[in-house]
Order: sequence, then structure tokens, then C-alpha cells
Amino acid sequence: MASNKYFKHEGPWSDANDPLMCSDTGDWRTKRPVLDKHKCIFCGFCALYCPIQIVEMKGQTHFEADLSFCKGCGICAKECPKDAIVMISEGNFKK
Amino acid sequence: MTKKKGKLTKALDHLIHDDPFSKGVAFCPGCGLELLLRIIPRVLGNDIVITGTPSCSAPVLLGQNNRSWHTLSYFGTLMTGAAANATGLVRYYRKAGIENTVVCFNGDGTAADIGFGNLSGAAERNEPFIYICYDNEGYMNTGIQKSGTTPFGAVTSTTPHGARALRGKNVRRMNLGLQMAMHKISYAATATLSDLDDLAKKLKKAKEMKTQGFCFLHILAPCPTGWGLAPDHTIEACRRAVKTNYFPLWEAINGRIRMTRIVKKPKPVETYTRLMKKFAHLSQADLGILQDDIDYEYCVLGGLSVLESECRLALSDED
Ligand SMILES: Cc1ncc(C[n+]2csc(CCOP(=O)(O)OP(=O)(O)O)c2C)c(N)n1
Ligand code: SF4
Ligand code: SF4
Ligand code: SF4
Repeated sequence: MASNKYFKHEGPWSDANDPLMCSDTGDWRTKRPVLDKHKCIFCGFCALYCPIQIVEMKGQTHFEADLSFCKGCGICAKECPKDAIVMISEGNFKK
Repeated sequence: MTKKKGKLTKALDHLIHDDPFSKGVAFCPGCGLELLLRIIPRVLGNDIVITGTPSCSAPVLLGQNNRSWHTLSYFGTLMTGAAANATGLVRYYRKAGIENTVVCFNGDGTAADIGFGNLSGAAERNEPFIYICYDNEGYMNTGIQKSGTTPFGAVTSTTPHGARALRGKNVRRMNLGLQMAMHKISYAATATLSDLDDLAKKLKKAKEMKTQGFCFLHILAPCPTGWGLAPDHTIEACRRAVKTNYFPLWEAINGRIRMTRIVKKPKPVETYTRLMKKFAHLSQADLGILQDDIDYEYCVLGGLSVLESECRLALSDED
């Protein structure tokens, strides 16, 4: 990996030259953030404060969370100044 | 596609570098540490060496099963010697003629307690690296034991509330940031996650100042799991910690303290404590002790920032 320029290996055992580990943290989620695009004023607070940094800019209009990894913490919804995001139970999306 | 009105928050301008971490990392939902850890390389760049100790950050920073969670350079050390190890690393790079940034990244358990001696030593020698203490006010990774920065009254697994008149931690917290500033190091500052513009500026300043000597950042990073805080309230807790003066924002260059944010009408500490279960049992009298401690710390800080210049004047007046 290009950015790890100081050590061949990370710690005594892990190697960043292999593909990174990645958990399906999206599976932890009990509630999912759902955006009302009409309310969104494109301020970016949701993207700024998401602990996983997975709320991505979509063009110049809105932001969208990557649901494969979103843990459903609800910070984006809480911090949105326009209440444009609501947290909806996962049960509503699974059949 | 029409461009919406409204302005992108300027704090986003600091996040210019890639996030070197894998997207699916096992921090608890809403963990303040996760946000902090992802933001540091996004602000400072991925060309940094992180070193740190066993803690909630270590399983992620150190990797598991031959694989890694990120692409940064990381050097894992013992809790007892974090700052001493960082000193060695920095001296190696200096001797080898390699210019880089070493960030010694530890929880409060290492910084305030177990590794405090050698932290103090590295600070006194003014070693040229950045030490960041993410303060979740306890030993979270081993099951939420109290540390030196656990505030008065807080429930942890070693300061419970319940039988035999136990009511959380019965002594007041130490002020780690202030103690480090009093080492007269090149740069000391506090920061938290609600004010990421301030945090990013302080990170950049530390990167600049570390060529001259030791830089210490004390960063309040709420732990929803250990504090009994709703995961969506992590940022709000930071905000209220600042607004109540529970965690004032300041910086000190060579020991000279300056507030970076002055709260005009600080709110009572209850506006902060009521967010989390660790304070739920506090009586009005307990809250009074906590409030008094916060006022005391704030007055010492304010006094130091104002009085130092006044005293200097008085000193020079005398013939
Ligand atoms: C000298 C020593 N004592 C105890 C431990 C066990 N230990 C591992 S992680 C940890 C907690 C660290 O707490 P802190 O530094 O505050 O980080 P946090 O877990 O809160 O992120 C402890 C005590 C250790 N590794 N080394
Ligand atoms: S915080 Fe709310 S208003 Fe701002 S960009 Fe995100 S969804 Fe839109
Ligand atoms: S719910 Fe939490 S993890 Fe999911 S997008 Fe919002 S802030 Fe990020
Ligand atoms: S226990 Fe606390 S500090 Fe540790 S990962 Fe969970 S929320 Fe973060």
C-alpha cells in the first residue's frame, strides 16, 4: 500500500500489503438513515460528523450514506439542522 | 441538476486527504474515537507514523490475523512506555534524516495514569512529536474502569453506584491538559468533536509546532457504550461539554494559555450530565460538587491566561 511508507508490516503481525480487513458493519444496524432530499440544504454536517465517514456527496445536491457499512448510530440524523434525515427501523425494509 | 442554496460547512475543507481506514471497522456505533481516528489522517495526511498502546484503538490500529484495518504506519507499544517509545522512533528518524510526523495516540488510561511518568518525561525534554490523548474518561477496552480523568460522581465498573453508599467516583478528576501545558511544552491544546474546525486547526498547528518540540492534544471523545450515552448523542455531548465549561477549549504555546473559545453564558453542568447514565444517580449535592470542580478548573485556566500577562507587567513595574 502506497501510503504505508515507513514499515513493511503494520504491527508484529498485520500486513497492509494484503487487502484490508473489512467487517459487514451494515449488518449491525437496527435503524437506517433515510433522507428527504427536498429538506436537505446541502450543508454537509451529516458527512462531517459520521464516525465512519461514509456519507458521500452526490453531485451538488445531497449526501448519501453507504448502507453496507452504516452502523445506524443516528448521528447524521441528530446533527442535521433541517431534520432531513429520519431513522427508520430495519424491519420496514426486510421482507 | 440544480445547485442547492445553503453553504457547505467550512470544517469539511480540512478533510482533504483520503481516509486510510477500512470502511467496516469494529468500533461501537457512535464511538467518538472512531470519528477522531478517521479524521486525524484526513487532516494531517496519510504520511504519518502512529504509535500507541493497548486500548480501544489498538485492535484496529494493530490489525488482526495477519491483516490490517488501515494503510497507515503503526507501531504498537506497551502502556507503560508509550512516550518513551515514541521518543526512540523520533530519534531514529532524525538520525536517519527522515522528515515525518510521529503521532503518539493513546487513551486516558495510558496518558493520565499508566504511562503518565514517561509522558511527563518526554514533555519535559520537549521531544519533537505529537502526543494525542483521546479522553473517554476511563479504561474502556478492559470493561470501563475509572481513570485519573474520570470525573467526580461518574459510575464505572470500579466506581459503582449502589450498596454501601457507593455513588460513583468519590474524588475529582485530574486536569491532564493543564498539567501538560504546565510542562511549558511547545504546544498544548484541548479539542473535541463538536468543533471540528477548531480540532483540525489545532492538529495542523501541532504538525507545524512539533519541529520545535513536544505537542500535546487533549481531546474529549465520548464513549456511548461506557457512558450510557445514546449513540446519536456523541456530538451533542461534546457540544454541551464545551457550553457548560466542562471541557473548555484553549491552547498554550510554551505554557502561555489562550482560550480559543469563550462561552458567554455557560450552562449548568446538568445540561451535560443528564445526557448519560453514568451521572444518572447524582443528587443535587453531588452535582454541586461537580459544578464547583468545573468552575474551579475554569477559573484556574482563565486566571492563568489573564494573570500571567498582568503579573509580568507588575514585575517589570517594580524598580
Ligand atoms: C501495564 C498494563 N496494564 C494493564 C493493561 C491492560 N489493558 C489493556 S487495554 C487497557 C485499557 C486502556 O485504557 P485507555 O488507555 O484509557 O484506552 P481506552 O480503552 O479507553 O480506549 C488496559 C488496562 C496493559 N495492557 N498494560
Ligand atoms: S446535514 Fe441534513 S441538510 Fe445538511 S447535507 Fe446532511 S441531510 Fe442535508
Ligand atoms: S447513522 Fe451513523 S453510521 Fe450511519 S450514516 Fe448516519 S452517522 Fe454514519
Ligand atoms: S467501548 Fe467506547 S471507546 Fe471503545 S469502541 Fe466502544 S464506544 Fe468506542
